[in-house]
Formats: sequence, C-alpha cells, structure tokens
Amino acid sequence: MTTNISLALLIPLFPLLAYFVQVFVGKRLPRMGDWVSLGAIFLSFVAASRIFLSMFNHFDPAWVETWHFTWFDLASLKTPFKLEIGVRIDNMSSIMLFMVTLCSTLIHLFSTGYMRNHHGEPEDGYRYASFFAYLSLFTSAMLGLIISDNLFTLFMSWELMGLCSYLLIGFYRHKISAANASLKAFMTTRVGDMGLFTGMLMLFTLPLANGQALGSFRFDDIYAAIQSGQFNFTIGGFHAAAVIGLLIFCGTVGKSAQFPLQVWLPDAMEGPTPVSALIHAATMVAAGVYLILRMFPLLEVGGVLTIVAYVGAFTALFAAILAIKQNDIKKILAYSTLSQLGYMVMAVGLGAYQASFMHLITHALFKACLFMSSGAVIYAMHHEQDIRHMGGLRKKIPITFACMFIATLAISGVPMFSGFVSKDKILVAAYAFGILDHSQHFFIPLAGFLTAGLTAFYMFRLIFKTFFGEPHDHHHYEEAHEVSFNMFVPLVVLAGLSLSVLFTGSLTGGLLGEGDFILKGANNWFETLVTNASFSAGHGEAWHEHLHHAHMPGMILSLVVASIGITFSYLVFGAKKISADKLAALWPSFVHKAIDNLYFFDWFYIKILIQKVFMPFSSFCAIFDDKVIDQGAVDGVKNVTQATKDVAGILIDDVLIDGLLVDGVGGAMPSALGSTLRTLQNGRVQRYLLVAVAALVVVLIWRGF
Amino acid sequence: MSGLANNLSFYLVVSAIMFVFGIVAALSRKNTIGIFMGVELILNAAALNFVAVKLLQTKAAASPTQDGAIFSLFIIVMAAIEAAVALAIVLRVFGVKRSIDPDGMARLRG
Repeated sequence: MTTNISLALLIPLFPLLAYFVQVFVGKRLPRMGDWVSLGAIFLSFVAASRIFLSMFNHFDPAWVETWHFTWFDLASLKTPFKLEIGVRIDNMSSIMLFMVTLCSTLIHLFSTGYMRNHHGEPEDGYRYASFFAYLSLFTSAMLGLIISDNLFTLFMSWELMGLCSYLLIGFYRHKISAANASLKAFMTTRVGDMGLFTGMLMLFTLPLANGQALGSFRFDDIYAAIQSGQFNFTIGGFHAAAVIGLLIFCGTVGKSAQFPLQVWLPDAMEGPTPVSALIHAATMVAAGVYLILRMFPLLEVGGVLTIVAYVGAFTALFAAILAIKQNDIKKILAYSTLSQLGYMVMAVGLGAYQASFMHLITHALFKACLFMSSGAVIYAMHHEQDIRHMGGLRKKIPITFACMFIATLAISGVPMFSGFVSKDKILVAAYAFGILDHSQHFFIPLAGFLTAGLTAFYMFRLIFKTFFGEPHDHHHYEEAHEVSFNMFVPLVVLAGLSLSVLFTGSLTGGLLGEGDFILKGANNWFETLVTNASFSAGHGEAWHEHLHHAHMPGMILSLVVASIGITFSYLVFGAKKISADKLAALWPSFVHKAIDNLYFFDWFYIKILIQKVFMPFSSFCAIFDDKVIDQGAVDGVKNVTQATKDVAGILIDDVLIDGLLVDGVGGAMPSALGSTLRTLQNGRVQRYLLVAVAALVVVLIWRGF
Repeated sequence: MSGLANNLSFYLVVSAIMFVFGIVAALSRKNTIGIFMGVELILNAAALNFVAVKLLQTKAAASPTQDGAIFSLFIIVMAAIEAAVALAIVLRVFGVKRSIDPDGMARLRG
C-alpha cells in the first residue's frame, strides 16, 4: 500500500467519523460541533492536496496506483463468487478529490454562517448539528465514490448520496414543498439507479465472448475485457456493450438529471442554499458524469456515444430555455446547472471526455461560487429569493457582487475565465462532430452554440436584475448588508479559482498558439494529464482530424454567441433599451405555456404515468387480489372444505372420535395427567430455561461428555 | 504464527466462558432485557466456535470450505431477528403491564 493509497483511504474516513460524532454527541458540543465537520473535511482536503501534488510530481498521463483486497470469496459454492474491492488513484480521481474536498470545505465554512440567523444563533435549534452531520456524510459518500476502483463500492456510495440528498433537500421539513421535493429527488433518481444496478449485474454475471462471466466489478478488469474484445457479442440483437453501457448511463441520467429524468433537480432548490451548492457543484450531479467518464470505453465499444450526445444536447438546450423565464434566483442557477450538465454529458457523447471532465471541474468551482453568492444575497435580503424584488445590490454587498460577477463571466464563457476554456473545448468537439464530420447530426453543435448564447443571456439577466438598476423592495434593500467573514471567504477563493490561467497556463486555452502561455510550466497540464491513451479514438480518425480544423471557427463562434448573449442581456435588462415584455410577446403563447409548465414533464409523470398507468395497474392488482385470489381461490377452497367437513363430521367425528376416543380415552386419562403436568406450565420463562439446562447437564453427564 | 491464535482450545475456552455467562444471565436476571442479553451471549458463543473452527481449518486444509463462516453468518442474522422480535414483545408487554419482570408474564400458564 503506497502513501497515496493510505491517504486516499483516510479521505472519506474523516468526514464519516465526523458524521458519527455529530449524530451522537453533536448537539452537546460547543457551537453544536460545526467545527468537527469542518475540521474533518479540512483534514481530507489536506490529504487530497498531498495526492494532488504527488500527481504533479509524476506528471504522467498513465499514472495510476491501485490497491485492492478480496472482501469475500465463496469458493466452495457451485458458482464461485468472489468480490474484490479497492482504491484507484489516477489523474482523474486526484483532480476530483482535490476539487470535491476544496468545495466541500468552503461550503462547510459558508454553512457555519448561513445556517445561523443574523444574531449568530443556529436556526432550527438542535437540527444545526444534524445539518453538519448530513453534510459530512454526503461528502464522505462522494469521496468514497471517487476513490472506488470498482462499480460495487461506487454504487454503495452512490446510494448513500441518494439518501443524503433526501435528508438535506428535505431539511426544512416543516415545509410541505421541501418534503415533497426530497421525496421527488429520491424517487426519480431511483428510476435511473434501477438501470445502473441492472447494468452492473449484467456486467458481472453475463457470460462473455470467451464463455466465462467477468465476475468482477473492478474497472481494470472491465477495461481489460473490453480491450481483448470480450464484449463483442449480442444480447437480443444488440451489442452487449451497448446494452450494458446504456443501462449504466441510465444511472447518470437519474443522478445528473438528464432528459427525461431532469424533473427533480429544480425542486431540489427547496434545500438550504449550501446544500444546493454541494449537490449542484461538487457532489451528487458530478457523480453521474464521473460514472460515465469511468465507463467511457464501454460506451465507446458499444457505439452508443451518439445517443449520449443527443441526450446531453437536449438537456443543455431545453434547460437553458427554461432558465430565461425564472424569477427565483436559485431556480435560475438550478436550470443553468441542468444545462451545463447537459454540456458535460454531450461532451462524453462526442468522445471529448477530457473536455467533459474539465468542464465538470471548472463548472463545480464557479457554480459553487454562484450558489454561495446567491446564498449570500438571500441571506442579506432576509430570505428573499425573487429577483424582481432585488436590484441595485452591488452597492450594498460589493464583495458578493464581485465574486458572483466573476463566476458569471466564467459560466458565460468570457475569455480569461475557466468556463471559456472548458466550454470552448466542448463546442469545438461539437463543431467537429456535427458540422465537419457528420452533417446529419447538426443538431448537436446547434444546441451547443445556442445554449452558450442563452447561458450568457440569462446569467447576465440575473446579474442586472439583482445588482444593477433601482431597488424594488426598499425595506429589504436598506437592511441588506455584506455577509460575515466566514461567508465571503469561500466566495473569494472560488472566484479566484475561476481564472483560466490555473487550468491551461494561458488566457485562452492556448488557442492562439504557443505564445500566450503565461505559466509555461503549467502548459495545458489538465488536458495532458487527463488524456488517457487506453481510452481510444472517440469518433475515429476523421473526427480527430476535424477536431484540429474546428479549433478556430469553434472558438470564434463561441465568442460571438457569448457576446451576442451578453450584449442582448445588457440592452434588455441593463440599459432597458428593449422592453422585456415586448420581447416576451414576440413568442406565441404555446411557447410560454410550455416553458411555464416545464414542458409538461411533471404533468406527464403525475397525470399520465402515475395516475393513468401506475395507479390503474395497482388498482387492477388490488381487484385481482380481492376477486380472484381471495374470493375465488381462497373462498372456493373454503367452501369445498366446509362441505367435506359437514359429511365427515357426522360419520367420523361424532361417532368415532367423540363417542369412542374422547369420552373414553380422552375423558378419564387427561384429567389425571393434566392436573399433574400443569404445574410444569407455570408460565415462568426462567423455570423453563432451567429445566432445559438441567436436561442438558444430565445428557452431558449420561453420555460421559 | 503465535501459539494462542492457532490453538483451537483457546477459542473453545473463551466460547465456553461466554456460554456459561449467558446461561447464568438468562437464568438469574429479573429483567427480560437481561435474559435476552444472556441469550445473545449464548448464540455468540456458538458463533465463535464456528468461526474458530473455520479459521483453523482454513489454515490447515488444502481446500477449505466456508461452512463455518456461513453458519456463523446465519447465527448473526438469526440473533438479529430474535432481538428485533423480542424487543418488540418487550415493548408491547411494557405498554400493557408497565413492567418487564419475566415472572410477571405468566398469564398463559397452564
């Protein structure tokens, strides 16, 4: 076991310990133990930094350290069953560990302010301690998922996160909407998890091309089987890897809220804001993308990448459209998360997994910043979330404004900020795939570029409406003040991490050539490290060739759409040269109706799927049970038995049993025996036990041991 | 390979002590929960025997079986179920009688 492996094992352990401390003694500790959770996650952060540095020391795309052991091995069974679990540390998991522990530490720090009221007292009394307990467990599960070298422990952590999201989204349990939202999140992700679990079991048990089941959940074994072509067989006419890959992808669709299971994520905004930051940036939704990044070779061999790309492109575009009409500051961010997740999934589908992973990291950092900034705004405004009631806040809360503005620049894809680099790589890949390579898939780049423009538009709408213009609610405006130290430090740190220099060593991601690298040593370290030689071609040689040609036009197009979005947003919401109402009136009413009803997804699930399909089915089952089983089978048998009884009763019972046996043998003998034996049945349990022990001793002595 | 850990009788003695403690507790406690704790000790003494035999057999035999481990797993599951059922009964009895003295639960005597 190397140092890095031991450290990696410690990383999820610290928050897990903090969870147990918090659950059992949290409320009796000073400050209700928020420092326990914060300290634990900070220790994890230190350990993760150590691994992160060690990654730079190696600086090798093929660097990987694994360690595993046999958890149990039932070799004597007819079909031997062996489960190996372990830890895998490579470039991807090191970067991920660093990002998650960093975000989570900052979110914990932020929560110590946000979960207290303006007098510094914990809100919700003792539940302050539980809140930190849940945060710790959530983070621990995510970290466990990252270090897993196998699908089994990954799935365990995955489900643990599902539970924690339920607990945290429904944290304000006195609100019925929060309770419903938590249930919805839990149930919807469960639908996807069914697919993931089925896929995992198929992967484990199906006989492969060489006639033997894989019998392992470890990534190394899966990759090896893929590379030796063991998945080249069909299940029901479909390629095996395609079936399994798509089933596993179902898990991602649920967890990362992709079309058509995206309905839970906007509702998840019912949770406290730090939770939204945690779910939407560092943990839950990132886990889904991380899963398909790990399972990329399977999707690739199965040839289902294009399906994945379409799912992502749909989600990206349609969520971005929804975000435009939202007025709740957190809802806007929720839809933008959906949309950005769509980008990541799309990038995986395009074969550009490096770009997807990079966007996962950059998005996590600036989205955590955006969410916590919105939390700071909400906190400053005394829990007002509607942006129509805000305005002019930049003078009142300048630090929050600056941080949120930087993060907005990042998400909108403005050069010099991280979002530009990662989003640009995705858009270039989309351009190469959908325009240069396969022009029948033009929808994917179209959706990608449209989303980029829309993102810039609605994010700047949020900024203009919140921080510029005239205050709309003077009472709240006057009372608003900058948040305390422990709440703005996380914002500043995360805003600083939204600079592109940190990821590429240059301002533009090196698109203008070698000349613009500022940090020479860090020259594109991210992409260099994440590129995995054993994950092969993506969409083939031609696509790689096209990727090269797509750089310039892709970058220029993405810059153009982003600037159109920002300018338009400025004209409408900043300078108010164009009336927003007139702009809205341009669209036919059915468009508004569709957007207001979230494309009727909730309506479809509740009114059609649940009420028209599942409920009738359950009622049918209930009726079947009542009429056929109970009244038909059970009562029928009863009637037959009764008839038999009536006949047999006279002959056998009355004459033979009652007359002869009962009165004769049963009358005299039992009364004598019974009165003797009843003293044994005195109802004292311990007396019975004593008799049994005494009997045991007698037997032991009699048999002579 | 230290001596104690490979000596079967060491495990058997510990198990026997646990067993006797369990019996004494189950016989003498005037509290139903205490009796159940005694029963748990008895069960775990048996489980310990199984595990010990399995462990030493694994070290010695060329093709060890897992029967001992599986038996102890069953015992653990059974003990868990027993505890759940027993505690439910105790709670109900307490609800009715406001006491869990085992001698008080003799209404079904013959």
